[in-house]
Amino acid sequence: MVAALKGTTGTDSNKKTIAYKISKRDELTESTGHYWGIKEFTLKRADPMKFERFYSRLQSACMAAREISRYVAASPGGREMGEAVWGLATAEGDSVALSEGFVSHSAAFPYGIKFMIENGYEDNPGFNDADVYVSDDGFSCGAPHPGDTYTYVPIVRDGQVVSWACAVNHIMEVGAPQAGSWAMFAVDTFMDGFVCPPTRTGENLKQYAWWDEMWKRRTRAGTMNILDDKMRLAGCAMILKSVHEIIDEFGVDYYIQASKEVIEESRRVVKDNINNWMVPGTYEQSSFRTCLYKGLQKIWAHADKDSLIHIYMKSTIDGDGRIHADMEGSSKWDYHAFNAFPGGHKVAMMMGLAGALGYNSKFTSGGNYMVSSNLPEGCIYNPGTHVAAHGNGWAQMLMVTLQGYNMLTRAQFMRGYMEESFAVCGPWDAMQGEGVLDDGTPYGYTQFELLGASAQGAYAYRDGESAVWFVASQLCNMGNSEEFEQLVPPLFHLGRKLEPGYCGYGKFRSGMGLSTVQWVNEPGQRLTASRAGSSCAIIPELAVGLMGAYPTPGATVAVAQQTNLQELFKKGISPSTLNELVELHEEGTLKAETLKIWKSDAQDTKLEQDDLWCQQAGSGGGWGDPLERDPALVEKDANDGMINISFVEEMHGVVLIEVSKAIYKVDIAATQEKRKELREQRKSESIPFKDWYLKHREERVLKMDMLEPIVEMLRSATSFSAYNKHYRGFWHLPNDFEI
Amino acid sequence: MAQVKKQIVEQLVSGDISRDESRNLLKMDPKDPERFWTYLEVLQERVSWKDKILLRISDHLYVVKKEETGERLVKCDCGHELGDYRANWKTSTNIRIRETKEQINKVYYPESAAPEPEWNEVREFFCPTCSSQLAVEVVPPGYPLIFEFLPDLDRFYRDFLGRPLDDENDSWYENHTDNRTGQWL
Repeated sequence: MVAALKGTTGTDSNKKTIAYKISKRDELTESTGHYWGIKEFTLKRADPMKFERFYSRLQSACMAAREISRYVAASPGGREMGEAVWGLATAEGDSVALSEGFVSHSAAFPYGIKFMIENGYEDNPGFNDADVYVSDDGFSCGAPHPGDTYTYVPIVRDGQVVSWACAVNHIMEVGAPQAGSWAMFAVDTFMDGFVCPPTRTGENLKQYAWWDEMWKRRTRAGTMNILDDKMRLAGCAMILKSVHEIIDEFGVDYYIQASKEVIEESRRVVKDNINNWMVPGTYEQSSFRTCLYKGLQKIWAHADKDSLIHIYMKSTIDGDGRIHADMEGSSKWDYHAFNAFPGGHKVAMMMGLAGALGYNSKFTSGGNYMVSSNLPEGCIYNPGTHVAAHGNGWAQMLMVTLQGYNMLTRAQFMRGYMEESFAVCGPWDAMQGEGVLDDGTPYGYTQFELLGASAQGAYAYRDGESAVWFVASQLCNMGNSEEFEQLVPPLFHLGRKLEPGYCGYGKFRSGMGLSTVQWVNEPGQRLTASRAGSSCAIIPELAVGLMGAYPTPGATVAVAQQTNLQELFKKGISPSTLNELVELHEEGTLKAETLKIWKSDAQDTKLEQDDLWCQQAGSGGGWGDPLERDPALVEKDANDGMINISFVEEMHGVVLIEVSKAIYKVDIAATQEKRKELREQRKSESIPFKDWYLKHREERVLKMDMLEPIVEMLRSATSFSAYNKHYRGFWHLPNDFEI
Repeated sequence: MAQVKKQIVEQLVSGDISRDESRNLLKMDPKDPERFWTYLEVLQERVSWKDKILLRISDHLYVVKKEETGERLVKCDCGHELGDYRANWKTSTNIRIRETKEQINKVYYPESAAPEPEWNEVREFFCPTCSSQLAVEVVPPGYPLIFEFLPDLDRFYRDFLGRPLDDENDSWYENHTDNRTGQWL
């Protein structure tokens, strides 16, 4: 990166360059606290109706782009699920209007634009109206991971770029050594798959012929990726056409200035929301993510280890209503697929906050200016080297999203806006891989039905709902199972439903998570699968439950191989959830040569006829003390077949009597007795914190008596001075103590 | 500016609010700016003690101004005091650890979704008097306590609410957790 942007002096011709505009925006925004220094809404005040009509036209252009162009796509991810967004950005990359979809991904637009400017693209090759640029590289364009592919189309008027029509969608296959959309195993970026910095791939709204060949040659789902590419471009073409019409009507000067006012207006709404809904102070949040690479391969010795990644946020809200997320203490980057770059971190940070803090505003980049971060060089969010792999940075960055969002939900609880407060969560899961059909056709795939429909965490005053929540988007959708079966021909759904009892427990529980069971039928010449996704069951996605409840359970994959499924079919038996499969196996009904339950990322597995691939994901966290749960709610859950009776007796102290087959009633006297007993247990089984602290410090911390990946994580986190001070300060470690 | 009736806030706090009423609250735009004061009033009426609630930080916990001494303490609704709010209140609780598979499986269902021992310990924090479960952490052994929130109360009351506290002092926004643990060694 060059230190200063070329063309930032204020001569008339230079004032039209993007370099000048970025420099001036930064200078004015920083010095005044207002976007582009806009203190007065001159245009809005002069003619409010014109101003609103102007914005409405921009917004409609983006919405229309999505609603029409998504039908170009072949993948359910782009067409039905919320895994795409179209936007209109200023010349500097700030969003003025956006379609529905995973809107926070627009937070990366300015990173891609800035990269192009800092690296001389404005002169070579230069930007012409209706050029086409594409990138999916976190290092240069801020993509959260290489599966998220960005398209940028410059809109040029009066000899200057006035805007960019932008789009991003999550493609189905990225061409990494590990097939699918998120390479879980990557030593460095050269194993991330097909990654390109912002690249001119076409002009006059038409992609060059070689670009299509690139998708075919470098990914395993060329046709699908080409159609996704055309989908993004089709929407951008619609936005470009609309913008030219809007400029014809309103004029260039109005267009540029009004766009700035729109963004500043929304920034102020977000600022007001922070002031009105939140509480200043310091919020501390931690998450952990395993990366189990030990023994996976014998080539890259430097990647042959198990790691525990520390995701640590100390965020503050100051008196001006600005949110600052200090990530110092998060792990150092390493030779694995879970690194990220600052653009991706910004997307993650805004993913929850953008919608929650900006829902009553015009949806723009304005809110992004109220949120800043400290990402020290060398950390997992700012590796400081282009070689860091980020094939599945998203698997840990989702925790950044949740930490940021939970800060808001906690604050709203403290302010009394309890109706908004819930345990934010999002442990998603996906199946990915590659195969060869009987006719010799190779293909790659990602089956991500358990990405877009999680349970809601519990609210502060009621249970969460099941399968209605997608932290990344307003568009909660699983896609159609039939479509996924077409995408991956050997897979057939035996089950796709809520998993009873799979929720976060508390006074209020989350919605139930989902489970799918997929039967491998006619696998062709070959079929392999691996797991992609965020939190695994081995460690919950957030370290703290809300207000005395337990944190969200993570996701699990079970793979049964060489089964007696054909015999079971004849008896009319087939598992419909992961837990049912485990129970059928335990009772001996389902026989399998191997049944592997993966609480960490399921590694690439070759699948054969009658194998079963089961997923369990999308649960949520609870809220409040589980012993305070209304027994009537437990009774209802029991009668809905949604809970395990003996489990909830110990969890909630609610004793149920089966009055007829599968019909339960609360035994009030026994419940009172059971709750009394559980409270007594709490007293007898707990000790004063001070006693535990002294013992734990002596026996575990000073001896570093814990798994090696945990020790390594602490070494990594304490290599940053602020966290080193924090860790040593809490345990009062001697100065010469070495972790 | 719309006002929300005290009765509705009471129902929200008690968890008895109907879906329709909670939906009405969710739809409010803008939110009622007086909510915080109504909330404090409702909360204050629900506790048996007189110390003034400054902030509710958890289902059971409040930062209060101690009437007699002027201290700002964390207090459970049962009346148990957990010390100066500037030190992580978890240091004043009783703690139970779940570290075996059997212990962890009692709080996660199904077993296939339960966190694994050795990688995690489940820390449950109880009020020493009423035994309410105040917080749960699931963290690796050796991990420091998580200080969920240190409020900047002076700034909150002055800049966000426009009603400054009468005992403002910069030292109210300091983290004293390490001082407390340091006294034990």
